[in-house]
Amino acid sequence: MDIQLLFFAAVKDHFPDLKKIEVSEGDSIVHLRKILTNTNPDSESILKVSRFAVNQSIVGDDFVLREGSVVAVLPPSSGG
Amino acid sequence: MSVLETYSHISSSPIFVSSELPDIPEMGGFVVFSGIVRNLNEGKKVTHLEYEAYAPMANEMISNILADACKKWDLLHANCIHRVGKLGISEIAVIVETGSVHRAEAYESNRYIIDRVKHEVPIWKKEFYFDGSSQWSKGCVHESH
Repeated sequence: MDIQLLFFAAVKDHFPDLKKIEVSEGDSIVHLRKILTNTNPDSESILKVSRFAVNQSIVGDDFVLREGSVVAVLPPSSGG
Repeated sequence: MSVLETYSHISSSPIFVSSELPDIPEMGGFVVFSGIVRNLNEGKKVTHLEYEAYAPMANEMISNILADACKKWDLLHANCIHRVGKLGISEIAVIVETGSVHRAEAYESNRYIIDRVKHEVPIWKKEFYFDGSSQWSKGCVHESH
């Protein structure tokens, strides 16, 4: 099944063209982290400290993805 | 009009400190905090910044933080606006306003709001330096909190 991806700030530098990705039924954020790290090993350190949001709500590592989920990868914030 | 103008807490237009106070007769204390773009960071001369936000989520989170502040303190006024896009030195990046009957609540809630906005809200800062280089700010690492 496909999910949509949104990348921001420093994470965007690692996955500029990746807007969609295929995951398996039952895959969670942990699996997505692994898939993204395998896609681009240089992203490992920033992914480790990034939060994930699904449909604009922050979720934990065990959140299970669904078809069409909009997943935002949020590196550490630095507003203010 | 930019699409961002639909978000009341995220602005692509310059922010200014107003000389007019909210018209609330009960208000005895009003605190304004402004986060300003400075020309130096960690020893490097900065030419300008760019702020990026996940705008719909950032707007909603700021709104929730303001609501939380209003629950914790007896506030008569609370607002926060964060800039996005390219900002020059001395421009206002963020403004937080709080008003209450007495000053203590206005001071304490203002600090609470800016601290949470800085640590939690999906907004990122890219610094541009005099030597032509640029870098995303490392930000607040949540695992350490």
